[in-house]
Amino acid sequence: MTRSVPSTLHPGLRQPVADAVESWNRLGRQARFYAETIGGVGQAIGRYPGELLRLVAEMSLGVGALALIGGAIVVIGALTMSVGSLLAIQFFPQLQQVGVDALAGFTSALINTRYFGPIMVGIGVSATIGAGATAQLGAMRINEEIDALEAMSIRAVPYLCSTRLVAGAVVVTPLFAVAMLLAYIATQSLTTFVYGQSSGVYDHYFYTFLNPTDLLWSFLLAEIVGLLAMLVHTFYGYTASGGPAGVGEAVGRAVRTSMIVLCAVVLLMTIAVYGPSGNFHFSG
Amino acid sequence: MTTTTSRIATPVRAVGGFFAMCLDTLVLMFRPPWAWREFLLQAWFVARVSIVPTAFLAIPIVVLGTYTLNVLFIEFGAADLSGTGVAFGTVTQGGPVVTVLVISGAAATAMCADLGARTIREEIDAMRVLGINPIQALVVPRVLAATVVAVLLTSVVSMVGITAAYFFSISLQHITPGAFVAGLPLLVGVPEVVIALIKSALFGLAAGLIACHKGLTVGGGPAGVGTAVNETVVYSFLALFVINVVVTAVGVKATL
Repeated sequence: MTRSVPSTLHPGLRQPVADAVESWNRLGRQARFYAETIGGVGQAIGRYPGELLRLVAEMSLGVGALALIGGAIVVIGALTMSVGSLLAIQFFPQLQQVGVDALAGFTSALINTRYFGPIMVGIGVSATIGAGATAQLGAMRINEEIDALEAMSIRAVPYLCSTRLVAGAVVVTPLFAVAMLLAYIATQSLTTFVYGQSSGVYDHYFYTFLNPTDLLWSFLLAEIVGLLAMLVHTFYGYTASGGPAGVGEAVGRAVRTSMIVLCAVVLLMTIAVYGPSGNFHFSG
Repeated sequence: MTTTTSRIATPVRAVGGFFAMCLDTLVLMFRPPWAWREFLLQAWFVARVSIVPTAFLAIPIVVLGTYTLNVLFIEFGAADLSGTGVAFGTVTQGGPVVTVLVISGAAATAMCADLGARTIREEIDAMRVLGINPIQALVVPRVLAATVVAVLLTSVVSMVGITAAYFFSISLQHITPGAFVAGLPLLVGVPEVVIALIKSALFGLAAGLIACHKGLTVGGGPAGVGTAVNETVVYSFLALFVINVVVTAVGVKATL
Protein backbone atom coordinates (compact mmCIF):
# COMPACT_ATOMS: atom_id res chain seq x y z
CA MET A 1 0.00 0.00 0.00
CA THR A 2 1.41 3.38 -0.90
CA ARG A 3 0.31 6.63 0.56
CA SER A 4 0.92 9.91 -1.15
CA VAL A 5 1.59 13.10 0.77
CA PRO A 6 1.13 16.46 -0.94
CA SER A 7 4.49 18.17 -1.44
CA THR A 8 5.17 21.22 0.70
CA LEU A 9 6.04 24.71 -0.47
CA HIS A 10 9.79 25.52 -0.37
CA PRO A 11 10.94 22.21 1.20
CA GLY A 12 14.59 23.29 1.04
CA LEU A 13 13.87 26.35 3.12
CA ARG A 14 11.48 24.71 5.56
CA GLN A 15 13.97 22.20 6.95
CA PRO A 16 16.60 24.67 8.24
CA VAL A 17 13.89 26.97 9.57
CA ALA A 18 12.27 24.07 11.42
CA ASP A 19 15.69 23.04 12.80
CA ALA A 20 16.41 26.57 14.00
CA VAL A 21 12.99 26.84 15.67
CA GLU A 22 13.48 23.44 17.28
CA SER A 23 16.89 24.32 18.74
CA TRP A 24 15.50 27.64 20.00
CA ASN A 25 12.62 25.78 21.65
CA ARG A 26 15.04 23.26 23.18
CA LEU A 27 16.97 26.13 24.75
CA GLY A 28 13.69 27.44 26.14
CA ARG A 29 12.76 24.05 27.58
CA GLN A 30 16.19 23.77 29.21
CA ALA A 31 15.88 27.25 30.72
CA ARG A 32 12.43 26.45 32.09
CA PHE A 33 13.66 23.17 33.55
CA TYR A 34 16.62 24.90 35.23
CA ALA A 35 14.33 27.56 36.70
CA GLU A 36 11.97 24.84 37.99
CA THR A 37 14.85 22.86 39.51
CA ILE A 38 16.37 25.87 41.25
CA GLY A 39 12.90 26.97 42.38
CA GLY A 40 12.32 23.54 43.89
CA VAL A 41 15.39 23.68 46.14
CA GLY A 42 13.37 24.97 49.09
CA GLN A 43 10.86 22.16 48.74
CA ALA A 44 13.61 19.62 48.37
CA ILE A 45 15.22 20.66 51.67
CA GLY A 46 11.92 21.11 53.50
CA ARG A 47 9.97 18.09 52.32
CA TYR A 48 12.47 15.46 51.28
CA PRO A 49 15.35 15.59 53.80
CA GLY A 50 15.56 11.79 53.92
CA GLU A 51 16.00 11.50 50.17
CA LEU A 52 18.54 14.33 50.31
CA LEU A 53 20.70 12.56 52.91
CA ARG A 54 20.52 9.29 50.99
CA LEU A 55 21.71 11.07 47.83
CA VAL A 56 24.59 12.79 49.64
CA ALA A 57 25.82 9.44 50.92
CA GLU A 58 25.35 7.78 47.55
CA MET A 59 27.11 10.54 45.60
CA SER A 60 30.20 10.84 47.75
CA LEU A 61 30.97 7.13 47.96
CA GLY A 62 29.24 5.87 44.84
CA VAL A 63 26.98 2.93 44.04
CA GLY A 64 27.50 -0.33 42.20
CA ALA A 65 30.84 -0.85 40.50
CA LEU A 66 31.92 2.71 41.31
CA ALA A 67 31.57 2.05 45.03
CA LEU A 68 34.06 -0.76 44.56
CA ILE A 69 36.82 1.69 43.66
CA GLY A 70 35.70 4.25 46.25
CA GLY A 71 33.28 6.51 44.40
CA ALA A 72 33.66 10.13 43.37
CA ILE A 73 36.18 10.98 46.10
CA VAL A 74 38.74 8.44 44.88
CA VAL A 75 38.16 9.21 41.19
CA ILE A 76 38.58 12.96 41.65
CA GLY A 77 41.55 12.37 43.93
CA ALA A 78 43.22 10.23 41.26
CA LEU A 79 42.50 12.80 38.55
CA THR A 80 43.95 15.73 40.51
CA MET A 81 46.92 13.65 41.59
CA SER A 82 47.70 12.88 37.97
CA VAL A 83 47.45 16.53 36.87
CA GLY A 84 49.52 17.58 39.89
CA SER A 85 52.27 15.16 38.89
CA LEU A 86 51.93 16.30 35.29
CA LEU A 87 52.64 19.84 36.44
CA ALA A 88 55.91 18.73 38.04
CA ILE A 89 56.90 16.44 35.13
CA GLN A 90 56.19 19.00 32.45
CA PHE A 91 57.30 22.21 34.15
CA PHE A 92 60.29 21.25 36.31
CA PRO A 93 62.64 20.33 33.43
CA GLN A 94 61.60 23.51 31.59
CA LEU A 95 62.23 25.68 34.64
CA GLN A 96 65.56 23.93 35.14
CA GLN A 97 66.59 24.75 31.57
CA VAL A 98 65.94 28.44 32.16
CA GLY A 99 67.68 28.18 35.53
CA VAL A 100 64.71 29.11 37.72
CA ASP A 101 63.90 25.64 39.07
CA ALA A 102 63.47 27.18 42.52
CA LEU A 103 60.08 28.41 41.26
CA ALA A 104 58.55 24.91 41.16
CA GLY A 105 56.64 25.66 44.38
CA PHE A 106 55.35 28.85 42.83
CA THR A 107 53.90 27.03 39.79
CA SER A 108 52.11 24.62 42.13
CA ALA A 109 50.67 27.42 44.28
CA LEU A 110 49.47 29.34 41.24
CA ILE A 111 48.38 26.75 38.67
CA ASN A 112 47.06 23.99 40.94
CA THR A 113 45.03 26.45 42.97
CA ARG A 114 43.60 28.62 40.25
CA TYR A 115 43.02 26.24 37.36
CA PHE A 116 43.50 22.57 38.05
CA GLY A 117 41.39 22.52 41.22
CA PRO A 118 38.12 23.87 39.80
CA ILE A 119 38.54 22.24 36.36
CA MET A 120 39.32 18.80 37.79
CA VAL A 121 36.50 18.99 40.35
CA GLY A 122 34.13 19.99 37.54
CA ILE A 123 35.29 17.17 35.25
CA GLY A 124 35.17 14.66 38.10
CA VAL A 125 31.70 15.71 39.24
CA SER A 126 30.42 15.54 35.68
CA ALA A 127 31.96 12.12 34.97
CA THR A 128 31.02 10.38 38.23
CA ILE A 129 28.10 11.99 40.05
CA GLY A 130 26.60 13.78 37.07
CA ALA A 131 26.76 10.90 34.61
CA GLY A 132 25.40 8.62 37.34
CA ALA A 133 22.45 10.96 37.90
CA THR A 134 21.73 11.07 34.16
CA ALA A 135 21.80 7.28 33.99
CA GLN A 136 19.49 6.90 37.01
CA LEU A 137 16.98 9.54 35.92
CA GLY A 138 17.06 8.30 32.32
CA ALA A 139 16.32 4.75 33.42
CA MET A 140 13.47 6.05 35.61
CA ARG A 141 12.07 7.99 32.65
CA ILE A 142 12.31 4.99 30.29
CA ASN A 143 10.65 2.69 32.86
CA GLU A 144 7.89 5.31 33.33
CA GLU A 145 8.78 5.62 37.00
CA ILE A 146 8.78 9.42 36.74
CA ASP A 147 5.22 9.32 35.38
CA ALA A 148 4.32 7.03 38.27
CA LEU A 149 5.72 9.58 40.75
CA GLU A 150 3.59 12.28 39.19
CA ALA A 151 0.55 9.98 39.29
CA MET A 152 1.16 9.59 43.05
CA SER A 153 1.19 13.43 43.20
CA ILE A 154 4.83 13.64 44.23
CA ARG A 155 6.40 16.66 42.55
CA ALA A 156 8.95 14.95 40.31
CA VAL A 157 11.29 17.89 39.66
CA PRO A 158 11.87 18.87 43.32
CA TYR A 159 11.93 15.24 44.45
CA LEU A 160 14.38 13.99 41.80
CA CYS A 161 16.27 16.97 40.40
CA SER A 162 16.38 19.65 43.10
CA THR A 163 17.46 17.08 45.71
CA ARG A 164 20.31 16.03 43.41
CA LEU A 165 21.29 19.66 42.89
CA VAL A 166 21.48 20.30 46.64
CA ALA A 167 23.29 17.02 47.28
CA GLY A 168 25.80 17.91 44.57
CA ALA A 169 26.46 21.28 46.19
CA VAL A 170 27.06 19.58 49.55
CA VAL A 171 29.34 16.91 48.10
CA VAL A 172 31.53 19.37 46.15
CA THR A 173 32.94 20.79 49.42
CA PRO A 174 34.81 17.68 50.61
CA LEU A 175 35.65 16.78 47.01
CA PHE A 176 37.33 20.14 46.51
CA ALA A 177 39.34 19.77 49.72
CA VAL A 178 40.55 16.28 48.73
CA ALA A 179 41.31 17.42 45.19
CA MET A 180 43.42 20.40 46.24
CA LEU A 181 45.34 18.47 48.89
CA LEU A 182 46.21 15.63 46.51
CA ALA A 183 47.25 18.02 43.73
CA TYR A 184 49.60 19.88 46.10
CA ILE A 185 51.01 16.66 47.53
CA ALA A 186 51.57 15.16 44.07
CA THR A 187 53.49 18.19 42.75
CA GLN A 188 55.49 18.53 45.95
CA SER A 189 56.49 14.90 46.30
CA LEU A 190 57.50 14.58 42.65
CA THR A 191 59.53 17.79 42.79
CA THR A 192 61.30 17.00 46.04
CA PHE A 193 61.64 13.20 45.91
CA VAL A 194 62.00 12.46 42.20
CA TYR A 195 63.65 15.62 40.90
CA GLY A 196 65.57 16.13 44.13
CA GLN A 197 64.81 19.75 44.93
CA SER A 198 65.38 20.58 48.60
CA SER A 199 62.05 20.69 50.38
CA GLY A 200 62.89 23.99 52.11
CA VAL A 201 63.20 25.81 48.78
CA TYR A 202 59.97 24.25 47.55
CA ASP A 203 58.05 25.09 50.74
CA HIS A 204 59.34 28.66 50.80
CA TYR A 205 58.13 29.51 47.31
CA PHE A 206 54.96 27.48 47.71
CA TYR A 207 53.83 29.23 50.90
CA THR A 208 54.96 32.66 49.68
CA PHE A 209 52.68 32.48 46.66
CA LEU A 210 49.82 30.44 48.09
CA ASN A 211 47.16 33.10 48.42
CA PRO A 212 44.18 32.23 50.67
CA THR A 213 41.92 34.55 48.64
CA ASP A 214 42.78 32.60 45.50
CA LEU A 215 41.85 29.40 47.28
CA LEU A 216 38.47 30.84 48.28
CA TRP A 217 37.76 32.02 44.72
CA SER A 218 38.79 28.62 43.46
CA PHE A 219 36.38 26.94 45.87
CA LEU A 220 33.58 29.24 44.72
CA LEU A 221 34.40 28.42 41.11
CA ALA A 222 34.38 24.68 41.86
CA GLU A 223 31.00 25.03 43.56
CA ILE A 224 29.59 26.92 40.54
CA VAL A 225 30.84 24.42 37.96
CA GLY A 226 29.62 21.54 40.15
CA LEU A 227 26.13 23.04 40.29
CA LEU A 228 26.09 23.71 36.55
CA ALA A 229 27.20 20.15 35.84
CA MET A 230 24.40 18.79 38.08
CA LEU A 231 21.81 21.00 36.32
CA VAL A 232 22.90 19.88 32.84
CA HIS A 233 23.07 16.22 33.84
CA THR A 234 19.67 16.13 35.54
CA PHE A 235 18.11 17.82 32.50
CA TYR A 236 19.44 15.26 30.04
CA GLY A 237 18.44 12.39 32.34
CA TYR A 238 14.97 13.79 33.06
CA THR A 239 14.22 14.24 29.35
CA ALA A 240 15.80 10.99 28.07
CA SER A 241 13.86 9.05 25.46
CA GLY A 242 14.34 6.21 23.01
CA GLY A 243 14.86 3.06 25.07
CA PRO A 244 18.11 1.74 26.55
CA ALA A 245 20.24 3.23 23.76
CA GLY A 246 18.56 6.57 24.43
CA VAL A 247 19.66 6.49 28.07
CA GLY A 248 23.25 5.80 27.04
CA GLU A 249 23.19 8.56 24.44
CA ALA A 250 21.71 10.98 26.98
CA VAL A 251 24.65 10.26 29.32
CA GLY A 252 27.11 10.96 26.51
CA ARG A 253 25.37 14.15 25.45
CA ALA A 254 25.21 15.36 29.05
CA VAL A 255 28.94 14.73 29.63
CA ARG A 256 29.79 16.57 26.40
CA THR A 257 27.58 19.57 27.18
CA SER A 258 28.74 19.92 30.75
CA MET A 259 32.44 19.76 29.73
CA ILE A 260 31.92 22.61 27.27
CA VAL A 261 29.91 24.66 29.77
CA LEU A 262 32.49 23.98 32.47
CA CYS A 263 35.51 25.10 30.44
CA ALA A 264 33.76 28.21 29.16
CA VAL A 265 32.61 29.18 32.67
CA VAL A 266 36.06 28.60 34.21
CA LEU A 267 37.69 30.72 31.51
CA LEU A 268 35.23 33.60 31.83
CA MET A 269 35.18 33.51 35.65
CA THR A 270 38.99 33.41 35.81
CA ILE A 271 39.34 36.46 33.60
CA ALA A 272 36.54 38.21 35.50
CA VAL A 273 38.04 37.44 38.93
CA TYR A 274 41.75 37.95 38.29
CA GLY A 275 41.55 40.54 35.50
CA PRO A 276 43.79 40.80 32.43
CA SER A 277 46.92 41.39 34.56
CA GLY A 278 46.45 38.20 36.60
CA ASN A 279 46.27 39.93 39.99
CA PHE A 280 49.50 38.58 41.41
CA HIS A 281 52.77 40.29 42.07
CA PHE A 282 55.95 38.43 41.45
CA SER A 283 58.45 41.25 41.20
CA GLY A 284 56.98 43.17 44.12
CA MET B 1 31.89 -17.88 52.46
CA THR B 2 30.54 -17.93 48.93
CA THR B 3 29.58 -14.26 49.13
CA THR B 4 33.10 -13.31 50.23
CA THR B 5 34.62 -15.32 47.41
CA SER B 6 32.33 -13.76 44.82
CA ARG B 7 32.99 -10.28 46.20
CA ILE B 8 36.68 -10.78 45.59
CA ALA B 9 36.21 -12.74 42.37
CA THR B 10 33.90 -10.27 40.60
CA PRO B 11 36.38 -7.40 40.12
CA VAL B 12 39.20 -9.82 39.32
CA ARG B 13 37.04 -11.51 36.68
CA ALA B 14 36.09 -8.11 35.25
CA VAL B 15 39.76 -7.14 34.89
CA GLY B 16 40.56 -10.54 33.41
CA GLY B 17 37.68 -10.26 30.96
CA PHE B 18 38.91 -6.83 29.89
CA PHE B 19 42.43 -8.08 29.20
CA ALA B 20 41.09 -11.15 27.40
CA MET B 21 39.06 -8.88 25.12
CA CYS B 22 42.09 -6.63 24.51
CA LEU B 23 44.16 -9.66 23.48
CA ASP B 24 41.41 -10.94 21.21
CA THR B 25 41.13 -7.51 19.62
CA LEU B 26 44.89 -7.20 19.07
CA VAL B 27 45.10 -10.66 17.51
CA LEU B 28 42.04 -10.24 15.29
CA MET B 29 43.20 -6.79 14.16
CA PHE B 30 45.72 -8.45 11.83
CA ARG B 31 43.59 -11.31 10.62
CA PRO B 32 41.16 -11.15 7.68
CA PRO B 33 38.30 -10.70 7.00
CA TRP B 34 38.55 -7.03 7.90
CA ALA B 35 35.34 -5.13 8.50
CA TRP B 36 36.21 -2.20 6.22
CA ARG B 37 32.71 -0.84 5.86
CA GLU B 38 32.10 -0.87 9.61
CA PHE B 39 35.47 0.81 10.15
CA LEU B 40 34.67 3.63 7.73
CA LEU B 41 31.18 4.11 9.18
CA GLN B 42 32.53 4.17 12.74
CA ALA B 43 35.37 6.56 11.86
CA TRP B 44 32.89 8.90 10.23
CA PHE B 45 30.56 8.57 13.23
CA VAL B 46 33.31 9.26 15.80
CA ALA B 47 34.55 12.24 13.80
CA ARG B 48 31.01 13.59 13.48
CA VAL B 49 30.20 13.45 17.21
CA SER B 50 33.64 14.74 18.23
CA ILE B 51 34.45 17.62 15.94
CA VAL B 52 32.15 20.28 17.41
CA PRO B 53 32.90 19.48 21.11
CA THR B 54 36.60 19.47 20.19
CA ALA B 55 36.48 23.00 18.87
CA PHE B 56 34.34 24.21 21.78
CA LEU B 57 36.65 22.60 24.35
CA ALA B 58 39.95 23.47 22.69
CA ILE B 59 39.28 27.20 22.64
CA PRO B 60 38.56 27.76 26.38
CA ILE B 61 41.23 25.35 27.64
CA VAL B 62 44.02 26.70 25.45
CA VAL B 63 42.98 30.31 26.00
CA LEU B 64 42.99 29.70 29.76
CA GLY B 65 46.53 28.32 29.55
CA THR B 66 47.60 31.19 27.30
CA TYR B 67 46.19 33.73 29.71
CA THR B 68 48.18 32.24 32.60
CA LEU B 69 51.38 31.96 30.59
CA ASN B 70 51.13 35.49 29.27
CA VAL B 71 50.53 36.88 32.76
CA LEU B 72 53.67 35.09 33.94
CA PHE B 73 55.73 36.14 30.91
CA ILE B 74 54.67 39.77 31.18
CA GLU B 75 55.58 39.71 34.88
CA PHE B 76 59.04 38.33 34.03
CA GLY B 77 59.43 40.81 31.17
CA ALA B 78 59.54 38.06 28.57
CA ALA B 79 56.30 38.77 26.71
CA ASP B 80 57.99 38.02 23.38
CA LEU B 81 58.23 34.37 24.37
CA SER B 82 54.44 34.08 24.60
CA GLY B 83 54.15 32.23 21.28
CA THR B 84 56.79 29.71 22.35
CA GLY B 85 54.97 28.91 25.59
CA VAL B 86 51.61 28.65 23.85
CA ALA B 87 52.89 26.30 21.16
CA PHE B 88 54.68 24.13 23.71
CA GLY B 89 51.72 23.96 26.09
CA THR B 90 49.18 23.31 23.36
CA VAL B 91 51.08 20.63 21.49
CA THR B 92 52.42 18.74 24.51
CA GLN B 93 49.49 19.03 26.93
CA GLY B 94 46.49 20.97 25.61
CA GLY B 95 45.98 18.89 22.47
CA PRO B 96 46.20 15.47 24.12
CA VAL B 97 44.11 16.50 27.17
CA VAL B 98 41.30 17.94 25.06
CA THR B 99 41.43 14.80 22.93
CA VAL B 100 41.07 12.71 26.10
CA LEU B 101 38.01 14.64 27.22
CA VAL B 102 36.34 14.51 23.81
CA ILE B 103 37.18 10.90 22.97
CA SER B 104 35.97 9.57 26.32
CA GLY B 105 33.10 12.06 26.73
CA ALA B 106 31.72 11.97 23.20
CA ALA B 107 32.97 8.96 21.26
CA ALA B 108 33.37 6.29 23.96
CA THR B 109 30.00 7.02 25.56
CA ALA B 110 28.20 6.77 22.22
CA MET B 111 29.99 3.51 21.38
CA CYS B 112 29.21 2.00 24.77
CA ALA B 113 25.55 3.04 24.55
CA ASP B 114 25.24 1.50 21.08
CA LEU B 115 26.92 -1.81 21.97
CA GLY B 116 25.16 -1.95 25.37
CA ALA B 117 21.74 -1.59 23.76
CA ARG B 118 22.61 -4.37 21.30
CA THR B 119 23.81 -6.58 24.16
CA ILE B 120 20.63 -6.31 26.22
CA ARG B 121 18.52 -6.89 23.12
CA GLU B 122 20.58 -10.08 22.66
CA GLU B 123 21.72 -9.00 19.19
CA ILE B 124 25.32 -9.86 20.11
CA ASP B 125 24.29 -13.40 21.11
CA ALA B 126 22.41 -13.68 17.82
CA MET B 127 25.60 -12.74 15.95
CA ARG B 128 27.51 -15.45 17.81
CA VAL B 129 24.82 -17.97 16.86
CA LEU B 130 25.21 -16.93 13.21
CA GLY B 131 28.92 -17.68 13.46
CA ILE B 132 30.03 -14.04 13.37
CA ASN B 133 32.66 -13.10 15.94
CA PRO B 134 31.43 -9.82 17.50
CA ILE B 135 35.00 -8.86 18.40
CA GLN B 136 36.04 -9.09 14.75
CA ALA B 137 32.90 -7.55 13.32
CA LEU B 138 32.19 -4.82 15.90
CA VAL B 139 35.04 -4.25 18.36
CA VAL B 140 38.07 -4.16 16.04
CA PRO B 141 36.63 -1.55 13.64
CA ARG B 142 35.45 0.61 16.57
CA VAL B 143 38.78 0.52 18.38
CA LEU B 144 40.69 1.30 15.17
CA ALA B 145 38.26 4.11 14.30
CA ALA B 146 38.70 5.68 17.76
CA THR B 147 42.49 5.43 17.42
CA VAL B 148 42.64 7.02 13.96
CA VAL B 149 40.19 9.79 14.77
CA ALA B 150 41.98 10.58 18.06
CA VAL B 151 45.23 11.16 16.14
CA LEU B 152 43.42 13.44 13.68
CA LEU B 153 41.65 15.31 16.48
CA THR B 154 44.94 16.24 18.18
CA SER B 155 46.00 18.15 15.09
CA VAL B 156 42.64 19.91 14.98
CA VAL B 157 42.96 20.87 18.65
CA SER B 158 46.47 22.23 18.15
CA MET B 159 45.45 24.29 15.12
CA VAL B 160 42.25 25.66 16.66
CA GLY B 161 43.92 26.27 20.01
CA ILE B 162 46.97 28.11 18.70
CA THR B 163 44.82 30.26 16.41
CA ALA B 164 42.48 31.17 19.28
CA ALA B 165 45.47 31.84 21.57
CA TYR B 166 47.00 34.12 18.92
CA PHE B 167 43.92 36.32 18.68
CA PHE B 168 43.43 36.32 22.46
CA SER B 169 47.04 37.29 23.13
CA ILE B 170 47.33 40.08 20.59
CA SER B 171 43.93 41.64 21.23
CA LEU B 172 43.51 41.34 25.02
CA GLN B 173 47.05 41.07 26.39
CA HIS B 174 48.87 43.25 23.82
CA ILE B 175 51.50 40.72 22.75
CA THR B 176 53.39 41.65 19.55
CA PRO B 177 51.90 39.52 16.73
CA GLY B 178 55.24 39.08 14.92
CA ALA B 179 57.06 37.95 18.06
CA PHE B 180 54.23 35.52 18.85
CA VAL B 181 54.43 33.85 15.44
CA ALA B 182 58.23 33.87 15.38
CA GLY B 183 58.34 32.14 18.77
CA LEU B 184 56.01 29.28 17.82
CA PRO B 185 58.59 26.75 16.52
CA LEU B 186 61.26 27.58 19.12
CA LEU B 187 60.60 24.70 21.53
CA VAL B 188 58.25 22.51 19.51
CA GLY B 189 59.95 20.33 16.95
CA VAL B 190 59.20 17.02 15.28
CA PRO B 191 59.84 14.95 18.47
CA GLU B 192 57.21 16.87 20.47
CA VAL B 193 54.63 16.54 17.71
CA VAL B 194 55.35 12.82 17.29
CA ILE B 195 55.00 12.26 21.05
CA ALA B 196 51.69 14.13 21.04
CA LEU B 197 50.42 11.95 18.19
CA ILE B 198 51.56 8.74 19.94
CA LYS B 199 49.80 9.91 23.09
CA SER B 200 46.52 10.50 21.31
CA ALA B 201 46.74 7.18 19.46
CA LEU B 202 47.11 5.46 22.85
CA PHE B 203 44.15 7.47 24.22
CA GLY B 204 41.95 6.42 21.31
CA LEU B 205 42.99 2.79 21.68
CA ALA B 206 42.37 2.70 25.44
CA ALA B 207 39.05 4.57 25.27
CA GLY B 208 37.79 2.37 22.43
CA LEU B 209 38.73 -0.84 24.28
CA ILE B 210 37.13 0.31 27.55
CA ALA B 211 33.95 1.44 25.79
CA CYS B 212 33.59 -1.82 23.83
CA HIS B 213 34.28 -3.98 26.89
CA LYS B 214 31.73 -2.10 29.01
CA GLY B 215 29.23 -2.22 26.16
CA LEU B 216 29.57 -5.97 25.62
CA THR B 217 29.26 -6.82 29.34
CA VAL B 218 26.11 -4.80 30.10
CA GLY B 219 23.44 -6.46 32.22
CA GLY B 220 20.15 -5.37 33.71
CA GLY B 221 18.03 -3.37 31.30
CA PRO B 222 18.08 0.39 30.58
CA ALA B 223 19.56 1.21 34.00
CA GLY B 224 22.41 -1.17 33.18
CA VAL B 225 23.21 0.67 29.93
CA GLY B 226 23.24 4.03 31.75
CA THR B 227 25.53 2.67 34.46
CA ALA B 228 27.84 1.09 31.87
CA VAL B 229 28.18 4.43 30.07
CA ASN B 230 28.88 6.14 33.40
CA GLU B 231 31.60 3.58 34.18
CA THR B 232 33.05 4.02 30.70
CA VAL B 233 33.48 7.75 31.31
CA VAL B 234 35.09 7.23 34.72
CA TYR B 235 37.43 4.41 33.75
CA SER B 236 38.52 6.01 30.50
CA PHE B 237 39.25 9.33 32.26
CA LEU B 238 41.33 7.51 34.86
CA ALA B 239 43.16 5.38 32.28
CA LEU B 240 43.82 8.30 29.99
CA PHE B 241 45.17 10.62 32.66
CA VAL B 242 47.50 7.88 33.85
CA ILE B 243 48.66 7.25 30.25
CA ASN B 244 49.23 10.98 29.87
CA VAL B 245 51.47 11.16 32.96
CA VAL B 246 53.52 8.12 31.92
CA VAL B 247 53.98 9.11 28.26
CA THR B 248 54.78 12.72 29.24
CA ALA B 249 57.46 11.53 31.65
CA VAL B 250 58.97 9.26 28.98
CA GLY B 251 58.70 11.99 26.36
CA VAL B 252 60.38 14.64 28.52
CA LYS B 253 63.25 12.23 29.23
CA ALA B 254 63.53 11.35 25.54
CA THR B 255 63.52 14.87 24.14
CA LEU B 256 65.65 16.74 26.65
